[in-house]
Amino acid sequence: MTRSEGNPALAVRDLRKRFGRKEALAGLHFTVPDGAVAGFLGPNGAGKTTTLRLLLGLVPADSGDMEMLGVSMPAHRASVLEQTGALVEKPSFLDHFSGFDNLWWFGSLNRPVTRERVMEVLARTGLTDAAHQAFGHYSTGMKQRLGVAYAILHRPRLLILDEPTNGMDPQGRVQMRDLLREIHAAEGATIFLSSHLLDEVQRLCDYVVIVDHGRTVREGYVADILQRGRETWEVRVAEGQADRAGALLPGLPGVLACRAVPRGFEVALEPGASGGVNQALVGAGVTVTALIPKEASLEETFLALTDNGGDPA
Amino acid sequence: MSRFLPLIRFEMVKVLARKKAFLFLLALNVVPLLASVIALLIYVKLKGWGLGGFEFSVLVEMVRGLFTAHMVVFAWISPFFLSLVIGDSFSGEAGRGSLKILLLTPIERWQVVVAKALAVLVFLVVAVALGGFFLQLDLWVARAMTESPAIRWDIQPTSTTLVETAAALQLFVLSFLSHLALVGFFIVFAQFSESPIMMAFVSLIVLMTMQLYVLMAPHLARLDPRFGQVADWCFTRHLSKLSSIETVQGILDKRLSLGHPDVWRPMLDSLGWAALFFAVAILLFRRKPILN
Repeated sequence: MTRSEGNPALAVRDLRKRFGRKEALAGLHFTVPDGAVAGFLGPNGAGKTTTLRLLLGLVPADSGDMEMLGVSMPAHRASVLEQTGALVEKPSFLDHFSGFDNLWWFGSLNRPVTRERVMEVLARTGLTDAAHQAFGHYSTGMKQRLGVAYAILHRPRLLILDEPTNGMDPQGRVQMRDLLREIHAAEGATIFLSSHLLDEVQRLCDYVVIVDHGRTVREGYVADILQRGRETWEVRVAEGQADRAGALLPGLPGVLACRAVPRGFEVALEPGASGGVNQALVGAGVTVTALIPKEASLEETFLALTDNGGDPA
Repeated sequence: MSRFLPLIRFEMVKVLARKKAFLFLLALNVVPLLASVIALLIYVKLKGWGLGGFEFSVLVEMVRGLFTAHMVVFAWISPFFLSLVIGDSFSGEAGRGSLKILLLTPIERWQVVVAKALAVLVFLVVAVALGGFFLQLDLWVARAMTESPAIRWDIQPTSTTLVETAAALQLFVLSFLSHLALVGFFIVFAQFSESPIMMAFVSLIVLMTMQLYVLMAPHLARLDPRFGQVADWCFTRHLSKLSSIETVQGILDKRLSLGHPDVWRPMLDSLGWAALFFAVAILLFRRKPILN
């Protein structure tokens, strides 16, 4: 199978899945552009892992269309999986096989793999020393690394990762982020990863899909999503003028929200309203000592878009 | 095919890596091995001590009897081994999550079912052949000692061949084909549980109940002939027939062959059941959601 130029790497339309009475996916739709590093976000139980299982043919969908690398799934499952590396939930290799043997045997089922390539991916995921240790003796973080090593073994064109840094220490998370950036840059792979770590997604991904209750609530490029709707600024005023500023700010044009913080106020503004707010304060005799833009975070957007803010339902 | 052969190899490696496989080999072969060694020692030592003893031809008959027993014992203990290994291979791997890794490769699901079945069947045939090899080795050693110039006892030359090649091949084919239905039966059960122990327990209970019914059917048929007719359809009846002492002995004595109606009829029935079990197993496995 060859990938058609211009096709999205992933396209999901009206995807539905029900487990008994529970509706896991209720008409999910999204598109991941070819070559993107896309984050897949949603509260617990939003349907992220179910979506990944459906995409990879592990669970049949009730209805809906799925396309991966330009062809439909699960009709072209084998040809798609040849070019896809995946890690879904916790990686569960054979406990009594070593990390090396697991990669070699499972990897051989896609296409022949050399021992050098297996050692190379083990080295890239920091598992060289544990290569010949039984998988059952690996720590959670090491198991996760091996899962990622397996996913990248055949230099996939599409990498689907479910919580890839789950159980890793901070250093491991940074290494994994660097590895994914490197793979994306060097091999041009499209990466689609689900994660609860919003700052991680914001640092790594250029595209994001947010789901809740089995539906897509927002998708698009991260930069576009963050700039949409509001800006956050910190306003600092001269000593003794805090009360006056606090009384003025909520009523000024373009101010959406205002709250006191230790050295001033944090205000949510309509895009482009900061200059006007500054002028209005100065005009009212308030000395503005600093007007500091606060970087918009994906977390705020996520919390605003989802019902329970990521807490288990 | 480029992926299917590595998959079969992988499944065979997994079967061999299980402690259950080692225990099965031990359980199956320890009796013929020990018995043949004891027979050999008695054969050699009695003569060496000047206590009379028996001719080499008697030893050959004893070992051939052990081989028949080995084949029958194999048929009795193989269901226990199969239920555990197939339970581990499907239910266990589904429960632990390694089946998910397997199904994230471009392998088709029907290939997974067939490869797992083939791996365990090949292991079974090798296991039973190993017992035969031990017994044949016993005869070779005995003959080598008998022919030694220092201790030449037998006057009448007797064949050292335990089983003729044609008979051995027929027995192996019989073992392989008769176990197909059994493997298919366990694979169907394995689709309903993610606990290998539970799967083995339930499937063996069902199997033993069926076999008990088959054994009681002649008595029940006196009450109502339909009990006997139902028993004729039980696949365990065909398996019992194929692995009976009469069938094994008949093939060894050349009274029976795979083409004989007493063999091919139950074998055909057994293959019909095997085809049904595998069709159901593949159908179930293709739709099985992999959640772990």
